[in-house]
Amino acid sequence: MDKIPDQIGYLVLTEDGAVLESGGELENDERVATIITDLITLSNKVDPTAFAPNEQFKKITITYDDHWFVICLSNKKIYVVKRTIPISAGEGNTVNV
Amino acid sequence: MEKDLDKVIEEIMSTPNVNGCLVADHQGLCLASKGSAHVDSAGVIVAISEQACKIQPNLKPPTVCLETDKKQCLIQRHGTITGAIYKQKA
Repeated sequence: MDKIPDQIGYLVLTEDGAVLESGGELENDERVATIITDLITLSNKVDPTAFAPNEQFKKITITYDDHWFVICLSNKKIYVVKRTIPISAGEGNTVNV
Repeated sequence: MEKDLDKVIEEIMSTPNVNGCLVADHQGLCLASKGSAHVDSAGVIVAISEQACKIQPNLKPPTVCLETDKKQCLIQRHGTITGAIYKQKA
């Protein structure tokens, strides 16, 4: 996790939100861990007509002006990385995808 | 009264790869929806934007992007209004 470019904090959580690993600005941040697990639970309920039940979300990003959180699920674990947006790429509240 | 909102919705829907759009108030009530966005998801979308705002409540509301292999759902809050755009990945 330390090798991810522009990374300023990370969390590895179990599916129920328990912190397995953490570092940087998110070190032992159980508050953010709870918010993110709740967010994932909510995201499962988004529009069954537009997103078929077999079409699960693979990635969630939360973008602020100068940093963003990337959330991915893999191997029954939730990976959260907080990254800075390099000034040249940051154009307001846009999403980099 | 909703002419302006309809105009904005039309404008968003005419953007390439957009296949749905929804606007809701802070209570999760749908103000407008078009395309693949279903009125019933207004509540969940507002809940997601509120949940995301809790991460850093002192900063301005973030943009949330939910991605599947082929589609994206972008959610942003502005004041009491929350907007969601459903996109096909280019």
